[in-house]
Amino acid sequence: MRSKSNKSSALLGTALATAAMMLPSVQFASADVAPERGIISFKYLNYQEHQGALGTSVATPGPAVSENHDVETEIEHKNESHNHNEGAVWVNLVSGASALPTATPSVLTPSSVSSTTGSTAADRISVNAYSIMAMVPIAGKWSLATTFISDSVSGASPIYHTSGLTHMTDSRSVVDAQLTRYFPSGNVAVGTSYSKESDYLSRSYSLQGSLSTEDKNTTFTLGGSITNDTITPKSLSNVTETKNIYAALIGVTRVLSKNDIVQINVGYSKGEGYYSDPYKYYDKRPDKRNNTTVMGRWNHHFEGSDGTARTSYRYYTDTFGIKAHTLEGEYVQPLGNGLTVAPLLRLYTQNEADFYIATSAAEQAEPRLVTTPSLSAVYYSLDQRLSAFGAVTLGLKVSKQLGPDWLVDGKVEFYEQRSEWALSGHADKALAPFSARSIQLGISREF
Amino acid sequence: MMKQNKLQKSLQALLLLLALGLSACSMGTAVQPWEKGTLARPEMTFGGDKLDTGYTEHIYSSKEAASGGAGVGGGGCGCN
Repeated sequence: MRSKSNKSSALLGTALATAAMMLPSVQFASADVAPERGIISFKYLNYQEHQGALGTSVATPGPAVSENHDVETEIEHKNESHNHNEGAVWVNLVSGASALPTATPSVLTPSSVSSTTGSTAADRISVNAYSIMAMVPIAGKWSLATTFISDSVSGASPIYHTSGLTHMTDSRSVVDAQLTRYFPSGNVAVGTSYSKESDYLSRSYSLQGSLSTEDKNTTFTLGGSITNDTITPKSLSNVTETKNIYAALIGVTRVLSKNDIVQINVGYSKGEGYYSDPYKYYDKRPDKRNNTTVMGRWNHHFEGSDGTARTSYRYYTDTFGIKAHTLEGEYVQPLGNGLTVAPLLRLYTQNEADFYIATSAAEQAEPRLVTTPSLSAVYYSLDQRLSAFGAVTLGLKVSKQLGPDWLVDGKVEFYEQRSEWALSGHADKALAPFSARSIQLGISREF
Repeated sequence: MMKQNKLQKSLQALLLLLALGLSACSMGTAVQPWEKGTLARPEMTFGGDKLDTGYTEHIYSSKEAASGGAGVGGGGCGCN
């Protein structure tokens, strides 16, 4: 019998041979044509998170403390020293005093959040954002697209599990540009992106090419990107961390019938650098994170109703130990007079990261008793986003074409995340359910 | 070793995909250019509303451990 490496080289050989046999019959021809018209779009987003109080909120009123980035100075000390006792650490959320030798975190209680922001105890982060996109065709062979996004983020955020609320504010600006050259047999696009927050800078460069067969029924896409991030945690003076991510994606898009089109993408990404969250309790993550994604998409048009079902499935796996499945469906139904409605449903599930620390019995009984990782733990995180959970999104988008040039649209989405909805892994049932609501309003004009 | 295996697996999946994609070229009845009116409609493409996608992907990547899959490029953020 063959060894594993022999098997893979055999597979490689088969694939190459298959490719070689196919190539003479595959005449690459026009993949895409340059756009004839330009477009300019504007979109506003309002987003609000909520978190239920399943034994995680602290009822005692306390003084309001803002700017968690100052607060977290002490937390980072604790992450570095990691000289805690096993079990739990008492955190006094009211006075800001703590039993931790080096930590004196001041944490907002839900009641003080409500007293400072006028929101309810269940409210968490809220975001207001706007974005503008412009695309212009150039000389019939090129197009240039650029996007600008600006958002402001504020609200209460937990610093361990779903407890220890701190108030935070930040803003983010993103600029990206993509230049595409259209050839008779396909296109090539180069892109760059620049994103800036008060403590995080990200620069990304991408290159993507696609080739179509002569009948234009099959398109191959190959892309790659490099991302360089610089992190300057406000909790640590004179500390600059970096993160570099290299990603590649290969895809095939295939027309199956005049009413069906499918696509398969396989992506691989390799990341090195600072992955920890400097604003959370006990958060030390590996400095490498590689992930693989497989995504399948299928759009089907129903001639009877004139509606279109857009479905997709994504499998995600990474070296943190996360495996996630995402299933999404959207149904786009034109109603006449340029009006279109599109309900959507999205289902998501993930297991927990290898180093996720679940809520201890002590913390379940008393949320201020923070669960501490064992002394032998090299990596650890109490971040709920690395726990096992399932999530459901329900949404509705309505758009209206106004004449040949204008389009207005609105979208509302409701998102709910619960540990007991995890289809695999070990659910940390002490985590409070998380929900979010988003509203988008957009307008665009072709010219 | 683990890493090597993962890499090999990804490579295998990639090659299989390529082989399948190529063999698909010679299967079934090809859709003719004059039959592609429906396929040209915006809802039948995989592109979609770029600003909507931008917001949505950003929100999901800041609330869930998984991200990506549909394309390359786009910057990171301190949100995750």
